[in-house]
Amino acid sequence: MASGKAVDAVYKAKIPAAASKLRELYYMAHFMHSHAAHFYALAAPDFVVGPDAPPAERNILGLIGKVGLDLGREVIRQREITQLVQQMVGGRATHPVWNLPGGVSRALSSENLETIKGFVPGLVAFGELGLKLFDDLVLANKAYLDLILGDGYELVTNYMGLVDDRDRVTFYDGTVRVVDSEGVEIDRYGESEYAEHVAEHVEPYSYLKFPYLKKLGWQGFKEGKGTSLYQAAPLARLNAASGMATPKAQAAYEKMYATFGGKPVHKLMAHHWARLIELLYAAERLAELVADPEILDPNVRVIPSATPSEGVGIIEAPRGTLTHHYATDERGIVTKANLIVGTTNNNAPISMAVKKAAQKFIGAGGEVAEGLLNRVEMAFRIFDPCFSCATHSLPGHMPLIIELKNGAGETIRTISRS
Amino acid sequence: MKTLILGLGNTILRDDGIGIYAVRALAARVDGAADCRESESAGLDLVELLRGYERAVIVDAIQLEGEDPGTVFRLKPDDLRITARLASLHDIDLVTALALGRRLGFEMPEDVTVYAVQVCDALTLGEECTEAVAGALPGLVDEIAAEISGGALARVSRPLRERKRRDA
Repeated sequence: MASGKAVDAVYKAKIPAAASKLRELYYMAHFMHSHAAHFYALAAPDFVVGPDAPPAERNILGLIGKVGLDLGREVIRQREITQLVQQMVGGRATHPVWNLPGGVSRALSSENLETIKGFVPGLVAFGELGLKLFDDLVLANKAYLDLILGDGYELVTNYMGLVDDRDRVTFYDGTVRVVDSEGVEIDRYGESEYAEHVAEHVEPYSYLKFPYLKKLGWQGFKEGKGTSLYQAAPLARLNAASGMATPKAQAAYEKMYATFGGKPVHKLMAHHWARLIELLYAAERLAELVADPEILDPNVRVIPSATPSEGVGIIEAPRGTLTHHYATDERGIVTKANLIVGTTNNNAPISMAVKKAAQKFIGAGGEVAEGLLNRVEMAFRIFDPCFSCATHSLPGHMPLIIELKNGAGETIRTISRS
Repeated sequence: MKTLILGLGNTILRDDGIGIYAVRALAARVDGAADCRESESAGLDLVELLRGYERAVIVDAIQLEGEDPGTVFRLKPDDLRITARLASLHDIDLVTALALGRRLGFEMPEDVTVYAVQVCDALTLGEECTEAVAGALPGLVDEIAAEISGGALARVSRPLRERKRRDA
């Protein structure tokens, strides 16, 4: 989607309203599909089965063992439906070839629209189900609530997210808004202005860059008021916005901030709660789009006629703000490209969150708390369970190794996933 | 036996498309003896893709250290955690998907074989495989077609235990 918007900008194409709505419809289904996997398969087992449970139980099988088979069937069913919606709208659920400069390649048929409308009640109910599960099994359990509210997983930074004209969370199109650690707006920019607002620091030990707010300058891995680092993921989007644009998601948004006692929230485990609120928002927004008569408009593409040059597209990817920037020659052949993908925004915060979790769960004498490996991994999993997509590394195995070093820098113990 | 041949991959990333190209070639060969499907994703989606079948043959790309591009490995569920899509940390792996489907009461294949082709280049944009990987396709397709039909089997694949570096 970001690529499609960037190419529109390269060709200076203003796409028809129906094309924009179809892209957003496709994207809401994608968001649900992605957030459901992240929460149910990867995050929920930590909460519902327990962070210290053996890995053999701390997975989606353990989750349904505890919650029941119906939930498992519902996750599989609704994820399948979101894949179907993407196929009906864009031809393919992954790597569609329907998003073109100037719009999309085909309109939505009335038959497919009716089928999708039939899915809507189930999708919205699925969004509500996640929040109910969170209420019943996480918030009602003191140990898990402490995990969210405790200081092991807390990081004070700025927060970034795409907002609509009323500063509410939006995923497909809007303005990037950044608030500071106290919730005060400190930056705002449109797509074409991103390079004036965000810069990327390089460290020699990583392929992945460390973005920061340009006007505050690179200050190193420093948290707290005045830091130039920002987070861009579900909680960051909610922190950076005034609210949600749909009623049920807005009610859930208000409940979350009431529980924490105000905005912004710095507790990292709240990203998972925010993820479920976004899942419900995506379902409600999908419902709004299929109820819009313009969604069937056959005018879904303008053929670009301008000479291509340069363009930027920004969307909210499930794991953070996604920026694509292309420059081309007069034939449209790309001469320069820069991408800041969701996880890249969070590179410095992830590094700091992992360090803080390790410090919390490793005693002064090098004693290792039970479940250390998973406790550290949980800090990472808040943002993205897979760095390989951000670095294009394909290690083929779980590359998590913890080396405990003494004050002299000597490794005294190595722990890794077998 | 109700059989699925499932190709995993992405045809715009050169050798990553080998699973898709294999299943497209097999669709013309197996003549109703198996369903042929393509998927760019795996993880939880595997539950839906595999449910209702007694046997599944999955074709995917693999990237093992020190192996020659185009080498075809034959894997069973016990060593399925290392192919390109079946090992994603974004999602659940094949073993978990099979167990999850069974736990949910779905009929899941008992007989699962994965053919994994060592890639040369699975990161460059392109709609054709490299020469070494494209060269492996005919033998791979012949082997799977024979396996499905029960015909004479001339194996080009090797079991995973015969890989060069066991620690890779």
